[in-house]
Amino acid sequence: MIDKLNEQRRVLIKGAISASTLALVATSGLLLPQQLLAHWPTDAFSAEAVEDALLALLGQADIADNTIIQFKVGAPPSYAINGASVPIEIQSDLENIEQLLVLVEKNPFPLVMSLELTPEVKLPFTSMIKIAEDSQVIAVIRAEGKLYKTTRFVEVDIGGCA
Amino acid sequence: MGIPSKDRIRAKLKAGNTLVRILLAHPMHTGRAENESGELIPAEFIQDIRCWRNDREVLTIKCGTATARNPYFSFQLVGGQQGDTIMIRWVDNLGAKGSVETTVK
Repeated sequence: MIDKLNEQRRVLIKGAISASTLALVATSGLLLPQQLLAHWPTDAFSAEAVEDALLALLGQADIADNTIIQFKVGAPPSYAINGASVPIEIQSDLENIEQLLVLVEKNPFPLVMSLELTPEVKLPFTSMIKIAEDSQVIAVIRAEGKLYKTTRFVEVDIGGCA
Repeated sequence: MGIPSKDRIRAKLKAGNTLVRILLAHPMHTGRAENESGELIPAEFIQDIRCWRNDREVLTIKCGTATARNPYFSFQLVGGQQGDTIMIRWVDNLGAKGSVETTVK
């Protein structure tokens, strides 16, 4: 009789503990960013190859190089002393640009940034990025459903992806 | 809200278009760097930046860890006039948020 009571007590205590742990996890900040940023493309940003990142974001990795994008990396162009902040400038005469991606081939995670543009936004777009080592830097533009890509090689003196 | 935001934004007319420049104050830790005592600094980086002009969302920038420390962006908006409001809001991977706004000069 006493044994049976004890058993029931244990089950009850166990249940109470797991329920309170669950409640704690749910209310703590741990889950918050994922909920807030459900639209942040985790697959694409954690992809370790350029092709995987492009596939995850655009559903297509095979894009022909095109000279329609003017793309400058580093100052002077194609050279950067400090890989921790390399200026980039993207200019193009394309109209109705919907999306713009910047990728660095040799970075641990190649995708640097992904922009969603409305027709109100006009290039040039400039920013600063981190580059781990000498690498190809790729700009991809999606305009009116078509994809365009431009690649530049950049030499980096001090790697900057720490 | 006690800490004043160090994020900066400038917007001015340039040949009929609005030139917007943004400088956010953020460490952008990738999660791979070590501090002085050899411990890894946890990842902390801005993931999502949105830009509004007069209550209309015009641009979304999604960043990975490879955006440089204290992220800088500049771009142009078609047309615009003096007094337009340009607003930026950002969120990082830990849920921290910031916003900054200016009027076009």
